Amino acid sequence: MSIRLLTPDVVSKIAAGEVVERPASIVKELMENSLDAGATQVTIESQGGGINLIRVADNGSGIPASDLELAFRRHATSKISNSADLEKISTLGFRGEALPSIAAVADIEVITQSTGGITGSYLQLRNSTVVKRERRSRPRGTTITVHQLFRHFPARLKFLKSLTTENSHVANLVSQYALSYPEVKFKLYIDGRQAINTPGNGKLRDVVAEVYGLETAQQMLAVDGAREIPSITGLVSPASLCRSSRGYLSFFVNRRWVRNSTLFRAAEDAYQRLIMTGKHPIVVLDVSLPPQEIDINVHPTKTDVKFRSSQIVYATVAKSIRNRLVSAPLPRVEPIAPQAPPPAMLWTRQGDEAPQPPTFRPEPINMPILRVVGQLASSYILAEDPTGLFLIDQHAAHERILFEKILAQRSQQNVEIQGLLEPINIDLSPKQDEVLKTRGELLNGFGFNIEPFGGRTYLLRAVPAMMKSGDLAEAVRTLLDSIAIDEEPLRREEKIAQSLACHSAVKAGDSLTGEEMRELIRQLEQAAQPKTCPHGRPTMIHLSAQQLEKEFGRIR
Amino acid sequence: MKLSCLQENLKNALSIVSRAVATRSTLPITQNVLIATDGSRLKLAATNLEIAISCWIGAKVEKEGAITVPARLLTDYTSLLPNEKIDINLTKNTLHLKCARSETSINGLDAADFPPIPEVTDGINTKIEREALRDGINQVSFAAATEESRPVLTGVQLEFDGDKLILAAADGFRLAVHYTSVLTPVSAKTAIIVPAKALVELSRFLSDQDESVEIIVNQQKSQALFRLKNVEMVSQLIQGVFPNYSQLIPQKYATRAVVDLTQFLQAIKMASIFARDGSGIVRMEMTPGPEMTAGKMNISARAEEIGENIGEVDALIDGEPAKIAFNAKYVSDVLGVIKQKQVALETTTSSSPGVIRPIGVSNYVHVVMPMFVQW
Repeated sequence: MSIRLLTPDVVSKIAAGEVVERPASIVKELMENSLDAGATQVTIESQGGGINLIRVADNGSGIPASDLELAFRRHATSKISNSADLEKISTLGFRGEALPSIAAVADIEVITQSTGGITGSYLQLRNSTVVKRERRSRPRGTTITVHQLFRHFPARLKFLKSLTTENSHVANLVSQYALSYPEVKFKLYIDGRQAINTPGNGKLRDVVAEVYGLETAQQMLAVDGAREIPSITGLVSPASLCRSSRGYLSFFVNRRWVRNSTLFRAAEDAYQRLIMTGKHPIVVLDVSLPPQEIDINVHPTKTDVKFRSSQIVYATVAKSIRNRLVSAPLPRVEPIAPQAPPPAMLWTRQGDEAPQPPTFRPEPINMPILRVVGQLASSYILAEDPTGLFLIDQHAAHERILFEKILAQRSQQNVEIQGLLEPINIDLSPKQDEVLKTRGELLNGFGFNIEPFGGRTYLLRAVPAMMKSGDLAEAVRTLLDSIAIDEEPLRREEKIAQSLACHSAVKAGDSLTGEEMRELIRQLEQAAQPKTCPHGRPTMIHLSAQQLEKEFGRIR
Repeated sequence: MKLSCLQENLKNALSIVSRAVATRSTLPITQNVLIATDGSRLKLAATNLEIAISCWIGAKVEKEGAITVPARLLTDYTSLLPNEKIDINLTKNTLHLKCARSETSINGLDAADFPPIPEVTDGINTKIEREALRDGINQVSFAAATEESRPVLTGVQLEFDGDKLILAAADGFRLAVHYTSVLTPVSAKTAIIVPAKALVELSRFLSDQDESVEIIVNQQKSQALFRLKNVEMVSQLIQGVFPNYSQLIPQKYATRAVVDLTQFLQAIKMASIFARDGSGIVRMEMTPGPEMTAGKMNISARAEEIGENIGEVDALIDGEPAKIAFNAKYVSDVLGVIKQKQVALETTTSSSPGVIRPIGVSNYVHVVMPMFVQW
């Protein structure tokens, strides 16, 4: 095949593919335009996972009628004018690619009224060509509506995840920008339901309260490194407050939301040894430094940046967080719970006729009959059989037992549920809220009874009987985080069972009585897969009699 | 310091204060017991910084002084001495004990380094009969939470109002409320949350020689003092808001079963053997008898692969037939602290809270959340 230049149509579609990866990308580009236009109110609407419709309306400066068509041409922008400007970019966008890229993959309608304009203008594009143009009135600002995303790209459509996932991406994205711009009022409607509504009063703590819940917001510590270079400002969680996913680390560089490994590392290192491994802090930090010091032109989506002196950035961020954590007192805040209504009188069991979920039954692995010798470091059970010594990780072993029990109860529709005397309030993040709305039934099947209580607050009324202790609200949040990712339904069930087992199992550090240890070993012997925990780690290590004799020089 | 006292008195006092000795502590001196002369008495005190217990015994004091010595060592040693007079003498920081034919010296730490035991004076001041307090503590403290995820629930709320006192404890799944009265009315309505552990310790050393217990709460409501004849306990109080439990007590019932407590407890214990494997579920079925005759209550449990048990007790049933399931432990816990011969179990639906009350007195209510099972 001979080499030839691609037609402009193909070029634009390739470029569009880099910018518009999924519906959330469109929301991002449009929201950034709104913010660059100085909007103080941005309303986002998403329908059908953003595929049917995305609408972003703002009260920014608008587009002059004369420039409107030009805005949809590739590399047309009002944000920079010459290459020197590239060195000191202060706007979120600058490449002039967003609108044409979106127009290449979807149908667009725009209504805009610019400052000083006489009337507003309306433009409709289909397949990147203008099909309608007229005057329409609108208060100052711009509304862009994107319809039928990827209609002409069945391949890309096929690669989109479920509606829930796309919705949660949109919700997460809007949350991040709301955290970055506390002075802007963000509203997000997903399929007509209000998911986010920030006050726009310039107070970061209020936005955190909206996104992560009031309880969390009250505990967050303010980092004020305004005098540092780069300057670091924002809120970080005290060491006592942590989450089990990295999704709660939000970084902004000159208020642009980025996912940058240097920053992630700096934050996690600052918390090192203060929080458990596998747990992650909640961080909302803005790093601000002169535009010359960063390169945001790494990728068309601009989600990463390069720092000219990343060592200094790393050190400053880590130090600011660490200093704040060290100076923080160790509070034990007991928030006053709002008065809850008395418990409901009726509890209905869902889906007795639901189909039996297929269960995967691996070949049973035999476990030797063991005699308990004792406990080591309050974490391991020592046990022996004629072949030698076994070290058993008590948490992993108990996790395995509970994991199998949960799945067995579930498959027999015989879940043991304990009612709560007083319902527990749970505040969810928009992302968790989405997951609960779409997959709540699944939690129901495992014995949770969760009722909406207005907004993103829920009441927990009953829990699986085995997980009675510990922070139940936190357990539910962890659970929702663990099933947020798209997976086959069967895999999701296992994830839930895993999370429940992990919460309910004895922890390393719990001292056990001889009776408890014997019972644990007895139940482990009956497990189908006694030798690994549900996460795949081993539950036991064997030290053979022969090895011991060798070590002691009894045999050679 | 120079004094003499009786071995029996010293042994008893040590066994009382040693309940407050820290077991594992970053402050080593809290593993010591303070020994100090106090007028013509000898004072012993220990604290783990959450509670502090002081105890006084009679002694013949010749020279005043104070010292702290390892509590465990002194307790173990004293308990082996014969019941005779002990001569105690302090030189520098070494305590010399002489009793019958044995002599010992124990190295101590300066009493000035011992954490000061808080003075609790102002605030609420009242008195309560020993038996009344002991019953109250026994009937509620077991329902308090044992783990710390909600600190207020690890305590027992004491609500003083005039001459009334209400003790309440809850752990998220059950609630125990005991109503009693105090001997001297309080001036203002006050509620405090005392760690359940501290109250259990207190009830342990309420002895026959104490007729009443004086309770003093400081103005900030951060500490409470329980004063007996020769013993004082100061406890830190838990700060926070106790759940408004009155709304959690159902006001009406659909079914009420009155049963013999001993038979009921026996049946629960039998069933719980079969409930061990799972979450301890026991099921209760209440059936009214035909036309004014006694009904019955079936108590059953079953374990996959092991077997099942069904027990039956006679019951006076008022209302509809009913079914409800509970965690066996929650039921046996409450039956274990009721002294009356009969109890009533009141239920509304199989998913709403069950209420257990003793028959013949109206000073106790226990609410238990059921387990939701398939019938």
